[in-house]
Amino acid sequence: MNSISLYTERDSIIHHIHPTNKVIYIFASILVPILLPSFAVLLGGALFGLILLLIGKVFKRALPMIGFVFLILLTVIIIQGLFHPTNSVLVFTIGPAAFYQEGLLYGLTITLRVMNIVGAFLILVLTTKPSDLVDSLVRRGLSPRFGYVLNSVFQILPQMMVSMKTIMDAQRSRGLETEGGLRVRIKAFLPLIGPVVLNALTHVKERAMALEVRGFHAEGKKTFLYEEKSYIATKPIQWGIWAVIGLAVIGRLMG
Amino acid sequence: MVKKGLGSVHFSTVALALIPVAVGINYIGKLFAGVLKLPLWLDAIGTVLASMLAGPVIGAISGVVNNIIYGLTVDPISFVYGITSLFIGLVTGVMANRGWIQSWGKAIVVGLVVGLTAVLVSTPLNIVFWGGQTGNLWGDALFAVVMSQTSSVWLASFLDELVVDLPDKVLVVLCSYAIYRGLPQRVTQLFSRSNQMEELD
Repeated sequence: MNSISLYTERDSIIHHIHPTNKVIYIFASILVPILLPSFAVLLGGALFGLILLLIGKVFKRALPMIGFVFLILLTVIIIQGLFHPTNSVLVFTIGPAAFYQEGLLYGLTITLRVMNIVGAFLILVLTTKPSDLVDSLVRRGLSPRFGYVLNSVFQILPQMMVSMKTIMDAQRSRGLETEGGLRVRIKAFLPLIGPVVLNALTHVKERAMALEVRGFHAEGKKTFLYEEKSYIATKPIQWGIWAVIGLAVIGRLMG
Repeated sequence: MVKKGLGSVHFSTVALALIPVAVGINYIGKLFAGVLKLPLWLDAIGTVLASMLAGPVIGAISGVVNNIIYGLTVDPISFVYGITSLFIGLVTGVMANRGWIQSWGKAIVVGLVVGLTAVLVSTPLNIVFWGGQTGNLWGDALFAVVMSQTSSVWLASFLDELVVDLPDKVLVVLCSYAIYRGLPQRVTQLFSRSNQMEELD
């Protein structure tokens, strides 16, 4: 079911932490660096994220994504180093390009801030099964119908990918050009996506009818088919993260 | 069918079942754009179609769900741009409700408005998260040029996003409109807001 998800099955402590806590951790990773924008906090947060990824045994899976983000961030550092509005202290020059301290530091701040957030998201995404995340959100008050909507994406996507492949083969066998100049490729877009969309929309009706028959809109309390997975130290971790956010707020007010 | 309006939280089953399909269409659009090596993303066709078919609220939800699922499966950064998708869905849906999807000319206007909305929402996000860049090669090259000339981050970031996003969104709306026009009535009627069939039972 989760063939398209980034979730990686491993046996680690991080995998046994409540999904909601990971969501709160993301919240903290965005908020704390904004409240306390010092290098120590930023670097500490980014390193902490990397350590959690290591503990979760998903560091290798995370590397390509971190690398991709880092590549973009490298251009941020370069461009800010060259052109940041407050640039005044020259650090070094490469040919005609002059790099300034203010811009480089600003670029570095952004890099660390983004690394914090990306790290936190990767922890959630790589160590949590999407269906577990949805399940825990529904248990915390998310509408079960909406939970179904989220979950069903993971069933519908693979179906649509199969249908996409079929239609691509069919159109090609009818002589549709999918390679060549840009105009040829643009012209091929609609004949390819059109049938996939029509197919999918026709299935919506069937799906809706099947859901109605099974009491999708039935009133009353919903129960769960599966028992909730057992998670470790849910409350202490939750309080811990809130405490860190609280301390950051206090630190901000004091400083 | 449960009646749905802007303020209502009760959606019909058909409308709810449309949301995952809209997300799927977004995904497929992006995949096809990749297969055909088109220099655009074309990854909002499902959101725009859902708005045209079922109105602004379903469109907006499709947009947000799309970015959540994207974030969980492909690219964690896309969570942040859920707000952009939300507005794309809302604007398209509202304009569709007001009769702006009746001709190609009007569809172009919708595309421009949607594109501008996306740019206006994304630019502050880009500045907060990336210092103003978009990660697109051409856009970022322009960003560097404007930064060196005017040293205005906002202007540079706005233009960076504009050259990338506006053409993309105009094409997305036009593609969606082309598909929408081609849909048989039995499909469009499913989601039609003027559908009073529920009065019969």
